[in-house]
Amino acid sequence: MKQKHIQHLYLRSGFGIDTKVLDKIKSKPKSKIIEYLFSDSEKMIPLQLNLTEFNLIKNKSPKVLKKEMGEAAFRKLRQKSRKKVRDLNHLWIDRLTDQSCMLREKMTLFWANIFVCRDNHIFHIQHYNNTLRENALGNFRSFVKAIAKEASMSKYLNNSQNKKQRPNENFARELMEIFTLGVGNYTEEDIKESARAFTGWSFKVNGDFTVRKKQHDFDEKTFFGKNGKFNGDDIIDIILEQKQCARFICEKIYKYFVNPVVDESNLEEITTLFYKDYNIKSLMNHIFSSTWFYDEQNIGVKIKSPIELLVGIRIVVPVIFNKKNQLNYLQKMMGQVLLYPENVSGWKGNKSWIDSNTLMFRMKLASLILNDAIINLEEKGAFEDSFIKYYDKERKRNRFIKTTKNWSVFLEQHKNIKPKELRDLLIISKLDKDTNALLDELKISSNRDYCIQLMSIPEYQLC
Amino acid sequence: MKRRDFLKQSSLASSLFFVPNFVKAFEKVAKESLGYKKLVIIQLSGGNDGLNTIIPYTNDIYYKKRPGLSVPKSELIKVTDELGFHQSLAPLKNLYDQGYLSIINNVGYPNPNRSHFRSTDIWQTASDANQYLDTGWLGRYIEQFGKMPYTGIELDDSLSLIMKGESMNGIATKNPRTLFANTQTPYFKKVLNHQSDAHLSEHNLGYLYKTMIEAKSSAKYIYETSKTYKSSLEYPKNPFGKQLKTTSEFINSNLDSSVYYVSMGGFDTHANQENRQKKLLKTYSESMEVFINDLKQNDTFKDTLVITFSEFGRRLQQNAAGGTDHGAANNVFIIGENLKTKGFYNDAPNLLNLDSNGDLIHSVDFRSIYATVLDTWLQVDDEAILNKSYNKLNFIG
Repeated sequence: MKQKHIQHLYLRSGFGIDTKVLDKIKSKPKSKIIEYLFSDSEKMIPLQLNLTEFNLIKNKSPKVLKKEMGEAAFRKLRQKSRKKVRDLNHLWIDRLTDQSCMLREKMTLFWANIFVCRDNHIFHIQHYNNTLRENALGNFRSFVKAIAKEASMSKYLNNSQNKKQRPNENFARELMEIFTLGVGNYTEEDIKESARAFTGWSFKVNGDFTVRKKQHDFDEKTFFGKNGKFNGDDIIDIILEQKQCARFICEKIYKYFVNPVVDESNLEEITTLFYKDYNIKSLMNHIFSSTWFYDEQNIGVKIKSPIELLVGIRIVVPVIFNKKNQLNYLQKMMGQVLLYPENVSGWKGNKSWIDSNTLMFRMKLASLILNDAIINLEEKGAFEDSFIKYYDKERKRNRFIKTTKNWSVFLEQHKNIKPKELRDLLIISKLDKDTNALLDELKISSNRDYCIQLMSIPEYQLC
Repeated sequence: MKRRDFLKQSSLASSLFFVPNFVKAFEKVAKESLGYKKLVIIQLSGGNDGLNTIIPYTNDIYYKKRPGLSVPKSELIKVTDELGFHQSLAPLKNLYDQGYLSIINNVGYPNPNRSHFRSTDIWQTASDANQYLDTGWLGRYIEQFGKMPYTGIELDDSLSLIMKGESMNGIATKNPRTLFANTQTPYFKKVLNHQSDAHLSEHNLGYLYKTMIEAKSSAKYIYETSKTYKSSLEYPKNPFGKQLKTTSEFINSNLDSSVYYVSMGGFDTHANQENRQKKLLKTYSESMEVFINDLKQNDTFKDTLVITFSEFGRRLQQNAAGGTDHGAANNVFIIGENLKTKGFYNDAPNLLNLDSNGDLIHSVDFRSIYATVLDTWLQVDDEAILNKSYNKLNFIG
């Protein structure tokens, strides 16, 4: 396998490759390299914060807790627990730099932007995140059914308010519009009828799924031309009978893993395959094994998401963030904060990451985290902030991103590497003669400096 | 390696004055100017309590539902026999008295959403409640009718959805000097100076280069043009006053930007609302009065329209913490020199007819305001931007 193709595979199935791994697999055949990718991700290691101090919240309802602890103490505990969602964000980003289960983690990130959800209940959202991880390479059918039973999702799309006497259509609508079929592939009647099938689907205090029988509508429903006493699982089965569902997911997969511009015949090929059994692992295996995946037009043409950019840098040079909150700052300034999606339709990706402000910031990112560059831009305040807090960020002008860089790892791995080789390792996108001329003109004093320079050209924004 | 050394070592200081032809071509486009009308959009972020801003002081229901939070008749500025201004709005009352203010009551949309995020999205993209759009209404204006990002400026360091188009966006800056400096780093310049237009035809890579060029040109244009004018008036010393001061400097230096967006934070008053809102409204109205005077002194007020909104109003029934929770319809302020409808545009909210959450029901769709402004003020095709036709209102002529 060509080195460039290995790099391409690792950029798309993960966040890049370090030279140690590259040296190890370089001489192996393509099939073996792909096999490793999947066998490494066989295991699933859940993301787990230490939450023992909040166990009360997990086991007792707010009503009971308010009575037992008093309103003020309860509110304080809950507030503190909500801040833990940010800790989970940091833990997740650190996990992404761990290359031992790279593909599963990349898939998890992908699915988090399909089954978009947001919740400030730390136990529920942590469980939700691990459900994504668990099913990331599994069967899409059981995946959707699991998602529909998650406490965080039930709250996010108001299914806990969906009752026989007064159905709430929000979950049913987004299930079809955003999770499985896409706009225009169902009727308003389908939404009404399927919402009835999900009535009473709710959760216990600890987050476990439960059906509230009194609120569930056991009567007959008509959905996609079929009649029956359907429940939510039946509805999901009927949705998956539509080939459109396979096509909808495959198109998302294609744009994310292959090329933002879809090739119709390739899409048709994977849709037909996926429709057979909805097996995500076989789908990904097919894509990575295909010859078209390695076509020149698919390499280095995708705009990295902020997370791909950030994690990609950290794979080349290991970096520890000494002030974890600065990770939030970086994510906010670039427009992607994990676990805090702006709405259920998720991040659009590709070109939409880029405007004048984000591009200037992104091109400075490597200098910020690897070279102690100064930054004088502030993040936006939050809706809930007081006036003073909303503008508080003002005081943090001219700050540094405080990081500990492990340059020794980088230098050790790259000690025998010539500038030209470093260029090929870091830049996957096409380099035309103008950019080549620029790079040739640079005075290269060390691999370390050259690395930061390479990460500062527009081509590095692509993967 | 220190930052300074990095810059030095990269030997990037050379050829700074060389401007490639294709960059020049981009900058030339800027000369084709839009109309001279300016639009300033202000969001009171967090959801301002409109009922304690414009107070229905003869309505018993208002006093009944807010036993600890209603504004007593003796403490407000009465303006009609039904409605009065919060006492912190004395400066706004001055504008009202001069006929510069039009207040539109009961503005909202069908099936109101009570999440800050979602409702802000809806207001910023001009979507329906169950529709997700990726572009903002001002962003679409910039994309269709502007030629450069500086057509729309957000007074902040990062860009909100309201300013985003499909492949052309507005630009955000609180401080033009900082923005300019960020595009003048030797590296940013160097990369551009080395490019012919070969890259621009590439799909995503071309988009990156195009955005870089636009960013650099816009930052340079904004900085160099706006530094010719410094406001002589004294604005209240707070960040919102500063945002408005910078906006006036942009407008008064004849910057060829037509839409501005400013977000003022702090309005999510679930608790201790009385004192908090008092300060907020004072900050808002004092800054606004200076801003309008600044424009008047420079003869730019006649060409500037200022619209103030919140993502939602707040519930009529106060809560147990001396505050109010997220609601629905709310009032919108229109400030301009030649308004067609001065004072109150429509009737006060009906407190007898609330929705199932106990919130005000809208009688004016916010997109009717947008349609009117696009059509009558900015004089562009409102349907092309809003993707739908909305009734026009007649607050401006």
